[in-house]
Amino acid sequence: MPLLDIKNLTLEIDTSFGWVKALDKVNLSVDTKEVRALVGESGSGKSLIVKSIIGALPERWKVTADRMNWKGKDLLSMSDNQRRAITRSEMSVVFQNPLSALDPSATLEEQIAETIPDNLLDKGWFWQRRAQRHSIAVAQLHKVGIRDHELCLKSYPHQLPEDVCQKFTIAMALASNPRLLIADNPTMGMEITTKIQILRLLSKLNKTRELSILFVSHDLLAISAMADSMTVLYCGQSVESGKMTQIRKRPLHPYTKALLDSAPSFRRDLPPKAALHCLEGTIPTLQHLPIGCRLGPRCPRAQKECVKMPDVRRIHDHHYACHFPLHRDKA
Amino acid sequence: MLVYLGRRLNLLVITLFILCAGSFALAFLFPGDPLTNLSGLANPDEQLRQQLMHKYALDQGFFASLWQYFQLIFAGDWGISMRSGSSVFEEVTRTLPASIELSVYAMVLSLFIGLPLGIFSGLSHRKALDRGILSFSLIGYSVPVFWLALLMILVFALKLGVLPMSDRVSLLYDVPLNTGFVLLDILQSDMEHREAALQNAFAHLILPTLSLTVFTCSLIVRLTRRSVINVMDSDYIKAAYAKGMSRSEVVWQHGLKNALIPIMPQLVMQFTLLMTNAMIVEVIFSWPGIGEWMIQAIYQRDFPSIRGGMLAVSVVVVSFTISMDVLLKLLYPLSKRQLHAQV
Repeated sequence: MPLLDIKNLTLEIDTSFGWVKALDKVNLSVDTKEVRALVGESGSGKSLIVKSIIGALPERWKVTADRMNWKGKDLLSMSDNQRRAITRSEMSVVFQNPLSALDPSATLEEQIAETIPDNLLDKGWFWQRRAQRHSIAVAQLHKVGIRDHELCLKSYPHQLPEDVCQKFTIAMALASNPRLLIADNPTMGMEITTKIQILRLLSKLNKTRELSILFVSHDLLAISAMADSMTVLYCGQSVESGKMTQIRKRPLHPYTKALLDSAPSFRRDLPPKAALHCLEGTIPTLQHLPIGCRLGPRCPRAQKECVKMPDVRRIHDHHYACHFPLHRDKA
Repeated sequence: MLVYLGRRLNLLVITLFILCAGSFALAFLFPGDPLTNLSGLANPDEQLRQQLMHKYALDQGFFASLWQYFQLIFAGDWGISMRSGSSVFEEVTRTLPASIELSVYAMVLSLFIGLPLGIFSGLSHRKALDRGILSFSLIGYSVPVFWLALLMILVFALKLGVLPMSDRVSLLYDVPLNTGFVLLDILQSDMEHREAALQNAFAHLILPTLSLTVFTCSLIVRLTRRSVINVMDSDYIKAAYAKGMSRSEVVWQHGLKNALIPIMPQLVMQFTLLMTNAMIVEVIFSWPGIGEWMIQAIYQRDFPSIRGGMLAVSVVVVSFTISMDVLLKLLYPLSKRQLHAQV
């Protein structure tokens, strides 16, 4: 049974030009011990998915889903308290922008102390708890590679460089010893050595502590190094999902193909000084969403049927939503 | 911090200096003889004139006389009121506390009412409670203070007859002038019927304070509400929810602190606006404060009093603003980068 199972997640947001479906029937699942990558361009709704999983969306936005299960229990029908209990002990989130996700008026020590649940502390008197929280916090900071822990814990967010804050938010997310880590672009803006360190830490935790990770990013290199499986998102629609190796070997959706082709390091056959491949056009804005398959106007294989939303088809555990998938040619 | 303090002190000294220079210039800008405007002695004879020329150093050039003026201001010699013939400085020290007293009570009351209302309203954004509070604050914000004061007199003093409509305390009680704050004076004095006098003074305070409070309170409600809404929408509040904290924990530990710190200076600055409104209200309620005193001075073209009154009020406002700035800085040392003063 998958740890997190989302089917047909639709998110409607109210804008000045009416209600818009920012997410349209997104499917996503994360198995236990799995590293699932969620890939998409900027503005494709990756962060919105993250926020709807943890329930951090404004209340007036409409979230509907056929299924949104956490270990078989429906998240959407839960009370706020039950949901909070899950996010407190079992799920953790690393937000995209560390500076805005940290309270500017509290020291980092206060903030990480809040995330350490009581059950991680051994039975001590209440005056010993502070010291215990402190030592857990220090250990977590060392794990993500912050050496100067005293300075870090004493500081306010604006006093530290952004990459330290980024590492700190990762440490904070891991402090509660979660089952699932939702990492929204966790290595953004890091230099390459720290990035590798963080990715290594995450894959180590994945192997030793059986931590499942939902890795949201557009860094294909990092994803291919880390992830077991991948879900590709385009403009609020999940276009393809499956095992990493399968998708890399044989993408079925034209968008996935274009995405993989756009990364030069995935193309061994690319001759020197060749033009890099990319799709024409840009991702549509929320005001001008195309009907049916949202890739339609940019898709090299689009035909008349594409104004209707394609059903999700599957080959084994490889799901895709396209009327004219790429394998048809070869057949 | 020292650099900061130095900068603010510098600002204070320079502003006071400019204010003094401005009040000196007023003596020449007002119609009539500058000497009369400075001293308050109308039609001096030749001998007195020479004496005054010497006293204000008007015969020694502009800068010498400006310097002389500063020394006189600091010595407390602000000239003589043309109306009453008594020292302007003494009249200012008598009337200013009454105004400050009124403003302080109104400020405290509006903070006590406005802050909680604003917070409740911000937390229940787009709900009935929010809309209700917002519409009341809009009404309070739009009603002119003088009109509201007149209405209050009409309803509570004339129709219902429950509250007195003018002055600080009934004529029956002879309150010795000590600090100038009527409640403090009554408490300090050993007069008979102290409790009755206190009650009477309270009753006199209610109407002017209320009519001032309505405006300031609705302003504070709106400020607080906006700030709370902005903060509760921010990412770190969502992150705090995502950590699994309950709503009350989030509001107390992350929400309120971040919502209130940035608007503190703005809240404090409402006091200066309040002082201005207090002057109008004083006239309506015959409250013997500096506003009423200055309006009388303006009617009677009592130039030394106008000059002194303006100087006194602006000095109070400027020193209050800067000292609150420093105080807030001491309380919340977070905004370290804000070295320069802001308007």
